[in-house]
Amino acid sequence: MSDIMDIKYAAAATFSSAKELYDAAGKVKEKGYSNWECFSPIPVHGLDAQMGYARSKVPRFTLAGGVTGFFTGMLIVWFMNEFDYPLIVGGKPYFSPIYPFPVFYELTILFAAFGTLFGMFFLNRLPRHNHPVFEHPDFGRTGDDKFMIVIEVEDPKYDDEETVSFLQEVGGQSVQIIREPIV
Amino acid sequence: MMEDTFTKDTPQKGLSTKLLAGSILGLGGGLVGLFQGLQTGDKAPFLGWLWGCSFWLSIAIGMLMLIMIFRVFNSKWSPVVRRQQEHALSAFPWLALCLLPLLLVAWFGKDQAGILWSWINPASPTIEVSSIISVEADVLHQKKAGYLNLNFFTLRLIAYFAIFCGISYWLRKASFSQDKDGDPKWTHLGTKVSAIGIPAAALALTFGAFDMFMSLEYQWFSTMYGVWFFASGMRAALAVTILICVYLVANGNLKGLFKQAHQYDLACLSLTFTIFWAYVSFSQYFLIYSANIPEETFWFTIREIDPNTGLRSGWFWVSMGLIFGHFFFPFLYLLFYRNKVDVPKLVFIVCWILAFHLLDLYWNIIPGREIVPGAFVGYEARPVIGSHLLWGLFSLVGVGCLCAWAVIRSFQSGIAEIIPIRDPRIRESINHHE
Repeated sequence: MSDIMDIKYAAAATFSSAKELYDAAGKVKEKGYSNWECFSPIPVHGLDAQMGYARSKVPRFTLAGGVTGFFTGMLIVWFMNEFDYPLIVGGKPYFSPIYPFPVFYELTILFAAFGTLFGMFFLNRLPRHNHPVFEHPDFGRTGDDKFMIVIEVEDPKYDDEETVSFLQEVGGQSVQIIREPIV
Repeated sequence: MMEDTFTKDTPQKGLSTKLLAGSILGLGGGLVGLFQGLQTGDKAPFLGWLWGCSFWLSIAIGMLMLIMIFRVFNSKWSPVVRRQQEHALSAFPWLALCLLPLLLVAWFGKDQAGILWSWINPASPTIEVSSIISVEADVLHQKKAGYLNLNFFTLRLIAYFAIFCGISYWLRKASFSQDKDGDPKWTHLGTKVSAIGIPAAALALTFGAFDMFMSLEYQWFSTMYGVWFFASGMRAALAVTILICVYLVANGNLKGLFKQAHQYDLACLSLTFTIFWAYVSFSQYFLIYSANIPEETFWFTIREIDPNTGLRSGWFWVSMGLIFGHFFFPFLYLLFYRNKVDVPKLVFIVCWILAFHLLDLYWNIIPGREIVPGAFVGYEARPVIGSHLLWGLFSLVGVGCLCAWAVIRSFQSGIAEIIPIRDPRIRESINHHE
């Protein structure tokens, strides 16, 4: 057995109000941290902008899914009706963008929905069974009456002492370093 | 505070005069066309007049529906926007006035009574397969005569405008009265009026579209037609709402009240109704294409080819323009977040939508069958460019100036605050956030 029984994950601080969290988040952004996160029991309007978050990238997956669906529908109809088994139905052409449009359209929606759902899973790195932030004793209260800022060790600006004192400076309570135990 | 909510720094006293002058010029020019049309039996000025009216009417109807939808959903973000739309409702009585000449001609036009709506005159020529017969001999008219007759038609038109004007009156009263006393009963009244008003106005606009536009070719029928008119009106009304709000932010008192979140939500609704318009318009085409019944397909045929030669006509390119310009481009454009929150980018696309909405109405109203005895199929399709366009532009400007005058007069009358300051939802609306 080695001496190291855990991995240092992040420095965390709790806050008692949305305003404190909001102000602190602005200072963390100003300081230049990049790998950090806020936890809140309620939606805090404007927090994304305060944290300097860009727009979500999920819509790109939606668009890619939609375009794929549209052309998949087209390919299905072309292959079946024009190429593999040409059949005249109702005096309509073998292939045309008009009569099978509902097929294109439905597949566009279906694949766009798949793109959205799985794109979201992919970007959030879901599914996962556990997360080191759960080790913080007050983490459960961020679903109730506490707000939390977590600055990860992976952040290039992270420094044990400096980050902890910085979090205390911006008004953080019960500042501590989260460690993920290795079993 | 209550004096002028439309302009802040620049009092535009001359604007009303200019608009009135414009409406007199436009409507006067259009009326000259109508008289000339009556003399020569030319349908073009009448079609143009109807087209000019339809554009502004569709916008007013869309505004009415949007307000009622905001009301019944009790939406928290809308009051700031709703107030601007309530002013637009003041155009309805004037729109009724603008449509009156067409009805007068139907009643007192004698042998020209059926000049616009051919079914009004039993002696009008019409087409059955490819032979020319009179309307009264046409079985397709005989079967519809219980509905399509002048008395019932007149009664219906009066009822439609009674519904539009009546709902508008009560919606405006409920909203404006609350500014003064802050009584929550006005909110309840507005909700009740809207709950009754939505089905009433939906029926009025559906049958209005049937009567005014679909009956231009009375043999043709489409149950989608009213929905198409609704979707078009919603798109146009949203576009005008965005333009009014953006204008008032830049030049008026809405700065800081109409926020990016409001604009974003209106733009999202524009995207929704862009898709809905395409869905409805395509469904109409798709069902008629699949069923392939001659009395339905001719309507699309004359919008695609010259029926006598079978070659593509100018309408084919207008049709393509609608598919790509009125659907695909605005659809793809509005998918992007930046295009919805960036003011110049959004203004560009809503102006684009309005221009294509005008073209869409043109495509729906203008094409038709001119009976020509020597022609191969007994008629010729009306061309894209013709005197109907010129006369249409007269009435478009005339009716537009009259409506703008009425709306700006409502804005400047001091009847209401810039936003519904005592609406129970106003705080949430001002603080609306994405």
